[in-house]
Amino acid sequence: MTASVSSTMVHGKRRDPVLIGLWISLVLVALIWLAPVVFITFTSLKSESEIFSSAAFAFPSELQWSNFSAAWAKGNFNQTFVNSSVITVVKVPIGLLISAMAAYALAQIQMGWNKLLLVFVLFGAMIPFQVMLAPLFTLVNSMGLIDTYPGIILPYLAFGVPYQVFILHGFFRAVPKELTEAALIDGASHFTIFRRIFLPVSLPVLSALLILDFVSTWNEFAMALVLLQDKDMWNLPLGLMSYQGQFSNNYGQLNAAIVMTVLPATIVYLIFQRYFVSGLTSGAVKG
Amino acid sequence: MATVDIVDLKKSFGAFPVVHGVSMDFEDGEFIILVGPSGCGKSTLLRMIAGLEDVTSGTISIDGKVVNNLSPKERNIAMVFQNYALYPQMTVAQNLGFSLELSKMPKAEITAKVNESAEILGLTPLLDRKPSQLSGGQRQRVAMGRAIVRDPQVFLFDEPLSNLDANLRVKMRAEIKALHQRLCSTIVYVTHDQVEAMTMADRIVVLRSGVVEQIGTPLELYDFPKNMFVAGFLGSPAMNFLPGKLAADGSAALVLNNGESVALARRPDVAGDTEIVLGVRPQDISQDPDDGTAATVKVVEPTGADTHVLVELAGTEITCVLGARLDLVPGDQIRLSFETPAAHFFDAETEARLEAGSNENKGHQP
Repeated sequence: MTASVSSTMVHGKRRDPVLIGLWISLVLVALIWLAPVVFITFTSLKSESEIFSSAAFAFPSELQWSNFSAAWAKGNFNQTFVNSSVITVVKVPIGLLISAMAAYALAQIQMGWNKLLLVFVLFGAMIPFQVMLAPLFTLVNSMGLIDTYPGIILPYLAFGVPYQVFILHGFFRAVPKELTEAALIDGASHFTIFRRIFLPVSLPVLSALLILDFVSTWNEFAMALVLLQDKDMWNLPLGLMSYQGQFSNNYGQLNAAIVMTVLPATIVYLIFQRYFVSGLTSGAVKG
Repeated sequence: MATVDIVDLKKSFGAFPVVHGVSMDFEDGEFIILVGPSGCGKSTLLRMIAGLEDVTSGTISIDGKVVNNLSPKERNIAMVFQNYALYPQMTVAQNLGFSLELSKMPKAEITAKVNESAEILGLTPLLDRKPSQLSGGQRQRVAMGRAIVRDPQVFLFDEPLSNLDANLRVKMRAEIKALHQRLCSTIVYVTHDQVEAMTMADRIVVLRSGVVEQIGTPLELYDFPKNMFVAGFLGSPAMNFLPGKLAADGSAALVLNNGESVALARRPDVAGDTEIVLGVRPQDISQDPDDGTAATVKVVEPTGADTHVLVELAGTEITCVLGARLDLVPGDQIRLSFETPAAHFFDAETEARLEAGSNENKGHQP
């Protein structure tokens, strides 16, 4: 009896080899992904001489914060940072709001042709925007919007909304229809239901989309290259590209510029990632 | 509180009709239960009263006013859903007060009403909790609180107890009934559970395939079912049906398919050797070792209070509720008597009830 109990306990402590393998793979993949981040961050804090004399992943012997101020001044970051901020801060919330409202309507208000409309909206997500760059330039140019904020924000919205609608539609469809019906009986309009019930319930998915959209808008390059010709209207990736061309021999400042470009997106991710952890719908309905 | 009048109501989903012209009137303060098997149209009917489904034709009136074209919020009804449908991000107090807030009621009044409803349902200690922090029974009570706080004309319940476990269901059943007695409100309640229907309703509406089979008080339906469907639907265990021919000599006996004769307490008002179906509730069958009809025991289910015995008789399976302690095993032969005044008779072809004249059924007599 005792022997059998102790044998079971020993057996219970034995780790699953598949699980161990998965963990090792996870750590390896994380290291591979982290390596460039560590390299860029360390390099951005090294002096020119240390970059060439020390190992790539060695911690800087003396922190060169001056790289950041120098890169900021040389790279016209004052302007590109403001441009990127305006474009992202305007585009991301508006895009999410439009997508969420469209997804709510398609998922919860039966009009008889919801499916057709959804397919029509999703069609936009199937066309790679690179294919559309030339006609897009012609269109924006004909509207006199080249080198303006609306000229870049509107195309961003048009190309961003379909995939967000797709994801939010799936989420809203999964919300029990009884929640909507209970609110309708309680006297709520569809707008109230959307604002008071669906938006709070969908915070996790909205946060996920906000992070993805923020990062992709902040880092967008191709469309900005075509639609923003004036240097004063450039966003950060365009500024960074120009910086690389002009100051490619100063690796410390170049990497400081890269860090400054990437940092806001990282901060936004860190702020909103906690909403991924738990869904808010638990307890809404039996299940 | 209000009356509800439904006249020739029809509903189709596309070309598929689900409610076929039903008519019924509910009195002010009445507890009505719509009961029937899955797909009978009971929930659709309730949702049409709520305004959540469009009406194909016919009219629904609440307190004398036709509400066909009114939105749910204009009908002054409240509905309790099977899965509670509580707003997950709101506290219990916010859930209760949401409708009042939307009606622009002053905050002090909302608080007073919410507290009053919470008091009635024992929710006061839970007002600051969110739905995810409540048990199933508490959530159901919040859903009911959300309904009563509005003081609606009609309460609609859509299978509100289906998600609860057996013990809690019995408890909540009593609570809903007590609530009705306290509020004296008109309640339309949908369930597929005939025990809920029997124990709670003032009147039951039995539906099948979108058609009303019978409307009446629980005991009317139990004692005088209009047809075999109603007879078989109400009562637990379900009523047994024995097909056969009435004795040609006019005596009170049923000749079964195997030629065996079963003595009856009375004979329906039908002449000659007409084919009929005898309906006997399991509780009305007794053992009669001398004159009973022979049957073979197939399954024995002791419940403690009594024993349910499944037997085979002339190729038909019959359930009978016999004494508390029985020494029976499958394969045993027992003799059963169907000579009860509570027996029912049905036309074998139309399945309609056959009256038994002077020997009228006076209900179950133990």
